[in-house]
Amino acid sequence: MTGWAEHVTAALLGTQRRQAPRLPGVAGEGDDEAGRLLGQAALLTVRRRAGRRPGSAEPLAPAPAESAPVVPPAAARRIERILAGEHARVLPEWLAAAAGAGYRVPAATLPDLLERGRVDRALRPLIARAAGRRAMWLALRNPDWAYLVSEPAAQPEAAGGDPRVWETGGRGRRLTYLAHLREVDPAAARAALRGTWLSEPAADRAAFLATFECGLGPADEEFIEEALADRAKDVRQVAADLLARLPGSAYGRRVAERAAGRLRTEPLRPGRARDQIRIVVEPPDGGTAALRDLLAHTPPVTWTTLFGLPPAKIVRLPIADDRGKDVHAGWARAAVLGRDAEWARALLAAGVVADEIEPAVDLLGVLPAAERETHAAELVRGADGYRGLIRVLDRVPGPWAGELADVVLGALADAAGRADAVRYLGRLCRLADERLSPGVADRLVEITRRHDTWPLAELTETLRFRRDMMDELTGAPKATARPAEPSE
Amino acid sequence: MTGNHRRSTDWPVATGRAGPGVRLGVRPAEASPLIGRVLSADPDSFGNVSERWGREQVLALAPDAAAVRAAESVARPPKWDGLGGAGDAIWGECRGSGARPYQVCAELTEPTFLCTCPSRKFPCKHALALALLWSEGAIPAVAPDATPPWAADWLAERRARAGGRGDRGDRGETADDLAAPKTPDPKTAERRERRVDDGVAELDRWLRDQVTHGLTSAERASYQLWDDAARRLVDAQAPGLAGQVRALAGIPRRHTGWPERLLAEYALLHLLVTAHRRRAELPAPLRDTVRARIGFTVAQDEVLRGARVRDRWFVAGTVDTERDNLIVRRVWLRGRDSGRPALVLTFGAPGRSLDVSLVVGTTIDADLAFYPGAQPLRALVAERHGVPGYEPPAGTGIAAMLDEYAAALARDPWLDRWPAVLREVRPARGDDRWHLLGACGTAVPLATADPWRLLAASGGRPMTVAGEWTPGGLVPLSGWCDEGRVIL
Repeated sequence: MTGWAEHVTAALLGTQRRQAPRLPGVAGEGDDEAGRLLGQAALLTVRRRAGRRPGSAEPLAPAPAESAPVVPPAAARRIERILAGEHARVLPEWLAAAAGAGYRVPAATLPDLLERGRVDRALRPLIARAAGRRAMWLALRNPDWAYLVSEPAAQPEAAGGDPRVWETGGRGRRLTYLAHLREVDPAAARAALRGTWLSEPAADRAAFLATFECGLGPADEEFIEEALADRAKDVRQVAADLLARLPGSAYGRRVAERAAGRLRTEPLRPGRARDQIRIVVEPPDGGTAALRDLLAHTPPVTWTTLFGLPPAKIVRLPIADDRGKDVHAGWARAAVLGRDAEWARALLAAGVVADEIEPAVDLLGVLPAAERETHAAELVRGADGYRGLIRVLDRVPGPWAGELADVVLGALADAAGRADAVRYLGRLCRLADERLSPGVADRLVEITRRHDTWPLAELTETLRFRRDMMDELTGAPKATARPAEPSE
Repeated sequence: MTGNHRRSTDWPVATGRAGPGVRLGVRPAEASPLIGRVLSADPDSFGNVSERWGREQVLALAPDAAAVRAAESVARPPKWDGLGGAGDAIWGECRGSGARPYQVCAELTEPTFLCTCPSRKFPCKHALALALLWSEGAIPAVAPDATPPWAADWLAERRARAGGRGDRGDRGETADDLAAPKTPDPKTAERRERRVDDGVAELDRWLRDQVTHGLTSAERASYQLWDDAARRLVDAQAPGLAGQVRALAGIPRRHTGWPERLLAEYALLHLLVTAHRRRAELPAPLRDTVRARIGFTVAQDEVLRGARVRDRWFVAGTVDTERDNLIVRRVWLRGRDSGRPALVLTFGAPGRSLDVSLVVGTTIDADLAFYPGAQPLRALVAERHGVPGYEPPAGTGIAAMLDEYAAALARDPWLDRWPAVLREVRPARGDDRWHLLGACGTAVPLATADPWRLLAASGGRPMTVAGEWTPGGLVPLSGWCDEGRVIL
């Protein structure tokens, strides 16, 4: 249809300067120029709209078929709510639970989710695990979401299998490749790292070497010994930690020899019975820090052998010259490095590390899950006032269940009932809302009935929300399992 | 919240049918029954999840945003005692700040609410919270004879009143609210006709002025240019025209092809002016169309007295537009058997809730009463039969949709929105913008800034997409993919 452009031009310039074109077959009906232009333009507009023909366009390559099933409908509605801002902090938990149960997120929620990942880096690995293949397909079409393409968890097959990743991949994907290889073939991983060792930057050397924690064995010792002489302090530290955890390593023996000379027992009071002994410390040159470091890398078995006593007895021995704190901290670190549950149990039970929360919490990690709650509960009970309680709880990772949950619920009820504890209640609730096991929601409802305060009501609501969320994701029969996320 | 509704795109709306001359309060009449009907055969589950209202639907009843937040904080089981439900009724006692708990009861068919709190908001936060708890499935079903006496009394009273009023009772009440005076004074009507004539004549002169002097100045003109013209039309009691003129102000600022767009709109207004002047020569239905676009309203009662069309109506999508502090919600319907399109308009001011009874993606069996016109489109839900269901829509091809729109334009040349339900279309690229590509290989452009939900839902594969067809392209509103219904 010609003529429309001329009409637009005439209208822009004004009919006083440019005459309206004449459409053949349209009566001007004696109208003025402007009226004629408008009348003809109306005709053309309707004609153009009515006569519109479909155009052509290039289809997109379809997204690959999904391997995981989509979450059940109730869970799909909940993720929409979470993405809309309701209890937004539970999003990571939802994603982890969905991926853990072998599900993927509903396709229509992907844009909102990918947008979240754009601003929140911490979410990206979770998104990569739970979002399915369509997320990658979308990310390839929207530059804002391109981060997903380089997210290692998004392509486990590629990262696991293809040796070219090690030669040409980015740091994240190489790390994933190496970690995966350590799981299936530690020797091959060692060979791969040895091949490129000298050309890796210091930060990468430390990170790559740290993957040796998985599948650690005597065959690794020689290589790690070399790393012990590395230029970079971080690399030396990683190497020392690894060797300390390798039973019977030459390094362990060397350290044990040095350490053994630093601690000895003597009778508590001269001339008394043999069981009344104490430990006397002869600190090394570096002072306190060096003492802790030395003890941390000494295999704990050194002491059971040297003193001829079980760990539970050793940790209760008095220590001369106020050096108890340093010795206990060193032992705690050694128990963590060596994954020595007996020592961890002994140290926790003796309560000798309770003053230093981080080592104590690290020790919890060494214990079998069943014992962990009991000892954590013990730590919480031993905390000094609400301030101490918050300090401890802040460092105990979730989920808080069993005995630990009992103690926390008790503390919440107690704080809610005391006027002087109001300012701690908010902090406590805030800590609990992501970590307290959703299984205790009903008991919390009971507490809230007695003490209807705002933070407690919020906490109850969050827990109820999380419980429903977990029910929706785990209630159904599990679908095809996916590899579990390595714990952090 | 990614709720059920989206804000409009920027294509100017011919708000002739929805001008500010229409008074508020349409919801109760149009939001008749039944979404939330509880038809449970299983007393444990109390209502089937798909028949329960969605959360957004409940919250859409809230009079304002503050009420939404308040309701969310009250919708927690610890605050409630004696929660229960039977049939279409739910109840509970909510502990508030008063000494006595508030008794809250709701009948879900309508819905109507009772609460003993002193709030003047309606529904109050307690009533909304009760409905929220129900939507979450937190209200247990009880035997009907276990209804607490206070709730039973109120419900019985309500049912008696509803029965006494008969089927049309509710509607008669609200029609008072809404429509023009019942028996208009002939002199008043005559006076209005004269004023409209004058206003239309002035608009004609104004339009001619614009094209005589040229549209170039529009690019730098302030909103004042259109606002003044619109205000004069309001004074002339032609609110429909006023709305259309006011909507033009954004065109030169927002669109690169603005001269074409502006000329098209001016030309169509000129056509409307001409049609009004020569209305005596027009067939009656077209005359009704012209009157509606100018801003003459038809009383709901009158519409409901007219012929009705029963069909299974598919709710294709909703669009909310805000204008002059008034929210206009357009709900597009498609008859499954007749293929007939329909448009249900509701209006809400701040503090009033919009109609939520038509849920996108559902199909309702109902009688619609259409407003008169050459291409009847706007309708009222006159009567519903049974519960809404979810079934995928049938849809048409792209060419058929364009043909249909062309035929509709032949009847109503001002029609600039048309409900499209396109089957087997997939996203595609053409001319540097997104398109929908049909099975036949032809495509129509998409008029949306955010195609990502559509892309995500389709994964590049064919799906059914419902939306508004406009001269600028298709505005996607909802869709059906292999994961079910999606709001776009």
